[in-house]
Amino acid sequence: MSFLSMALRYLRFRWLVTMLTVAGIMLGSALVCTVLALRHESERALSRDAGLFDLVVGGKGSPLQLVLSSVYHLDSPTGNLPYLEYERLQRDPRVLWAAPIGLGDNYEGFRIVGSEPHFFDLPDRDGNPFFQLSRGDLFEDRFEVVLGSHVATATGLDIGETFFGTHGLVQVPGSEVHRDFPYRVSGVLAPTGTAQDRAIFGSLASVWEIHESEDRLHSAIQGMAQLGDRQEREATAILIRLKTPGLRLWIADEIRTRSDGIAAIPINEILRFQRGIVGPVQRALLVVAAAVAVVACLTVLTTLHQAAERRRRDIAIFRSLGAVRWEVAALVFTEGLLLTGVGITLGLLLGHGGLALAAGPIRDETGLVLHAWRMPGSEVIALGTMMLCGAIASLFPAISCYRRTPIADLHLAD
Amino acid sequence: MVRLRDVSLCLGNADQVSPVRFHLPSFEVEAGEAIALTGPSGCGKSTLLNLVAGLRRADEGQVIVAGVDLATLSPAQLDRHRGAHCGMVFQTFHLLAPFTALENVSIGLRFGARQRARIRTRATDVLQRVGLGDRLHARPDQLSVGERQRVAIARAVAGGAPILIADEPTGSLDPRTGREIFALLREIAAEQDRTLLMVTHDLALAEELPRRFDCSDLIRSTHVDAKTEAQVS
Repeated sequence: MSFLSMALRYLRFRWLVTMLTVAGIMLGSALVCTVLALRHESERALSRDAGLFDLVVGGKGSPLQLVLSSVYHLDSPTGNLPYLEYERLQRDPRVLWAAPIGLGDNYEGFRIVGSEPHFFDLPDRDGNPFFQLSRGDLFEDRFEVVLGSHVATATGLDIGETFFGTHGLVQVPGSEVHRDFPYRVSGVLAPTGTAQDRAIFGSLASVWEIHESEDRLHSAIQGMAQLGDRQEREATAILIRLKTPGLRLWIADEIRTRSDGIAAIPINEILRFQRGIVGPVQRALLVVAAAVAVVACLTVLTTLHQAAERRRRDIAIFRSLGAVRWEVAALVFTEGLLLTGVGITLGLLLGHGGLALAAGPIRDETGLVLHAWRMPGSEVIALGTMMLCGAIASLFPAISCYRRTPIADLHLAD
Repeated sequence: MVRLRDVSLCLGNADQVSPVRFHLPSFEVEAGEAIALTGPSGCGKSTLLNLVAGLRRADEGQVIVAGVDLATLSPAQLDRHRGAHCGMVFQTFHLLAPFTALENVSIGLRFGARQRARIRTRATDVLQRVGLGDRLHARPDQLSVGERQRVAIARAVAGGAPILIADEPTGSLDPRTGREIFALLREIAAEQDRTLLMVTHDLALAEELPRRFDCSDLIRSTHVDAKTEAQVS
């Protein structure tokens, strides 16, 4: 019999203690895996989305709120700004691409984003088109829409089907449904792995039409004079890609100076958000995970020490059969490595499996696309450290067995 | 096969007021000889067996087993020498609880035998020889006490060790089973011309072996010795 099979047999013989020890290590490593993978994936996902645009211009308010509402389709918009501002930016020779967006309605919780047809010309950082159609066409008529890939999957809507938008940015029971303005699906986008997969894109003109009609109705109900066609149309925000990212601060300053709006740099806002809010929470979780991992390693030490104490007679029998000191020490050490290795492997599966299960709801809630089975370098280092700690913890009882003389232990009763 | 000359060792802590000392002027057993070691509890019978097995080292004197002076061996060499030359049977069997009868014997072969091939076949053969051919895969808690001692005997002889050391092998058995085990030990020792050293309190069994060695005077208190010497002088 090899050391491995002997060690396995001993672990199986003490199955309850083995299971409890493995469970401790598993939970510790699962927690470490989850925290590190979640941190890495959320940072990557947030940066990927934020990196799409160099600037976001919107009404006065919190820059973070502006970024969350216009780039991630979360949170409420800060306020509108004149459409003229978009036209001015569009003419700016430093701007590579700019698109206004208008928000206000949703369908089953997915935001309807009004924009211009050239919205889909947005290039990725390599210069290739960021948006690809998976089927159908881009919108042409006012009430035609293109669905983000996740919207199409979640709602089951397909080309040619119609639906009514609901007032507001989130789905709330009793919200007003715009039954006079049915939208028709003209196309479905290919998955982008960003929050854009959770949006419905239509023309800005249709958003204006729905809400101007609403304004007229409200004015009539309140007995006020009916408003004429608006002289000055508005947009909720303007998304901008510059010819070079180095111009961000310069143009942001110009916009702040000349208009009532604000200009936010998405990547800066997201990094600030991560470092200021998410970072401390993740660090606290990491400390808890590290503490659990340390306790798990101490459990290995205690378990093996107790096992070695209970097995003093067995160790002495091995020696009486001709086993040398290092062989009995290796047997105990192998048990420790097995306990730690199995615990860490199960923890890895539990942590990433849990993340895989949570990835769907997280994407639905926040739009962040997490790759649950990707292992960041920090996780490999953390698990390697845990394995090393387990090995060191196993070394103590192994050394204790190495040092024991069999003569006293051979007379222990069965 | 076994030769001890002027062997002495301190038992217990040498710092205590009255440490006891094991002293054996001379002890020799030839190859193939069977000898009963008798004497009251605590007289040094097991210490003598432990010295022969190399589980204890003598403070002074010579312990030569199978032609090798055990004092010249390193700890690892001593362990290997024990595995190759001494098969041990204990009063409380000392089987490994998680392992089956076959595995208990195989583990003995793994550490003791030089050649690791065909371990399973050899273990099976020996277990069949001791009458446990149908209990190969039973764990110790599934065996009767008599069967456990048979497994222990199989483990002791499987590696072909020329010396069989049995420390009260019938001490935990009822008289009938004890006699069966004793008969088995003698048979197996005789079959392959093994040397048998057996500690026993059962004088009837001891009388059946060709030679008996009384261990009554092997251990003395050094405090008493010193007092006696002072009186004599």
